[in-house]
Amino acid sequence: MDTNLKRRAFVKYLALGSASITAASYGAVNDKPKAQTKKPNFGMIFDQNKCVGCTDCERACVKVNLVPKGQMRLFVEDKTDPNNRMQKRYVRVSCQQCVEAPCASVCPTNACHKDLLTGITTTNADDCIACKYCIVACPYDVRFINSENHAAESCNFCLDTNLAEGKEPACVEACRYDALVFGDLNDEESHISKLLRIKDSLRMRPECGTKPSLRYIPAVKMGV
Amino acid sequence: MNGAINYTHTFSSGVVWHWPIAVYLLLAGMSGGALIVALLIRYYKKQTGVTPLFKGASLLSLVTILLGMVCLVADLDKPLYFWKILINYNFTSVMSIGVLALCIYIPLSFVVILYAFEKELNAFFANHFTFLKAFFGLIMNILNFIRPLMFVLTLIFAVAICAYTGFLISVLVRFPILNTSALPALFVASGLSAGIAGSGLIAAMFFREDTHSSDLKILHAIEWPVMAAEILLIGMIFVSLIIGSDVQKAASMAFFSGEYAKMFWIGVVGIGFVIPIVFNFLLGKTFAHTRFAFYVSSLASIIGVLMLRMFILYAGQTYSIFI
Ligand code: SF4
Ligand code: SF4
Ligand code: SF4
Repeated sequence: MDTNLKRRAFVKYLALGSASITAASYGAVNDKPKAQTKKPNFGMIFDQNKCVGCTDCERACVKVNLVPKGQMRLFVEDKTDPNNRMQKRYVRVSCQQCVEAPCASVCPTNACHKDLLTGITTTNADDCIACKYCIVACPYDVRFINSENHAAESCNFCLDTNLAEGKEPACVEACRYDALVFGDLNDEESHISKLLRIKDSLRMRPECGTKPSLRYIPAVKMGV
Repeated sequence: MNGAINYTHTFSSGVVWHWPIAVYLLLAGMSGGALIVALLIRYYKKQTGVTPLFKGASLLSLVTILLGMVCLVADLDKPLYFWKILINYNFTSVMSIGVLALCIYIPLSFVVILYAFEKELNAFFANHFTFLKAFFGLIMNILNFIRPLMFVLTLIFAVAICAYTGFLISVLVRFPILNTSALPALFVASGLSAGIAGSGLIAAMFFREDTHSSDLKILHAIEWPVMAAEILLIGMIFVSLIIGSDVQKAASMAFFSGEYAKMFWIGVVGIGFVIPIVFNFLLGKTFAHTRFAFYVSSLASIIGVLMLRMFILYAGQTYSIFI
């Protein structure tokens, strides 16, 4: 899927999302009632078959979200089996955007919360007192204290940066190999939903009961 | 865990909550524990006056909880913003509920200390700040009128404070040692243990309580069942780890090797359990009845509880579900 198409698709989700909220507040009847009954649940796919470990996504994230030097919201870990160097494996390490997010439910000041409009887990740096409860509560250990403003943070799908400008998250924009797909999981017509219908994907640590919105498509073994 | 997709690089890099939190957990437990035993003994013996033990326990509980607050705020990365926690509440957060409980508990323990030192304060105001004497008398008249209610409330909130410190860390699903249902009970038991030792110590040291007085005898008598409960609960956590999932089995290594194992066997078991038992039962009655034995074994109990909190917090955060 080319970038232009993706962008157009995403703008459509945002438009639908806001339309549904407008519709709900006015109680209006819309011509697309199905898409409006559900709030958006933005998710992302990381396709291990496509990722080459170039780390363009990491760099784009740092740049767009002004992540302090030496820190990161997104890390691409090389999990290549040392006994099988031929088959490269990379894994995206970042906030899993849990639907049932422990970080948000333990935060005493509501600094870490689910954004009302999009449902994305994000942190309001001004309200954070850096008690680090969210950091120890996150089963995926992907939160950290920003060394510049001393507030906790984690990947928020570029909610206040790229998304606010109607663009896709920086990592998705930067990935030249289509290893990342972003979209609304609650919209059955979205590219991400269609993709998930035809591909097998995994959630990280489903046993933690957090319902992550990040999906992983594992690499299939080559040969026998 | 699905082997196909897994990562081991994480962002927090090890222990996030450091020793000030362990010290806070000790102080909060000791504060609650001291008031629980002092009030229960009061009810049990139907005391109406002020005993040295009551004075010792009330002084200990206020001082420890205030010091605990200092530790808590000092561990924040943005300590000057701590007031945000007082104006924002999130009722799904154990920390928020704890703060709310503390906001009631701290004034209550302040009131208890007024009851305990009413006579002394009256005498003080008679000689100094005489203009405050009438005011103080008025306050005490009101407080004495609602005293039974205040004691019941204090007892409830003291238990709540002890328990919440356990719930605070038992909800952390990433850590097998912390994420156990026995932890809050263990924290109540060990808090009681520290409260018993601490308030007995203060009563004997500062309020000239005889170490063989009937109050301290009761303290002494409940000390051992509480310790037995503690050992039982630690055993339960240990067994649930060694018979549990792979990550739980891996976490049970905390008891066998490394610095934390030493902390547990020397600090918790050696100092916390063995010294008091040896001093009180194995070295003969005459030695057990000396003041020396009383002070050392009380102190050992408190250090043992601190070591337990340290062990739980550090080993707990070290062994995560990422193996
Ligand atoms: S992965 Fe961690 S930080 Fe992200 S939503 Fe889930 S609990 Fe919160
Ligand atoms: S560190 Fe900040 S965002 Fe995290 S729980 Fe504490 S106040 Fe909330
Ligand atoms: S930019 Fe794409 S291919 Fe490169 S590391 Fe990130 S996800 Fe993988």
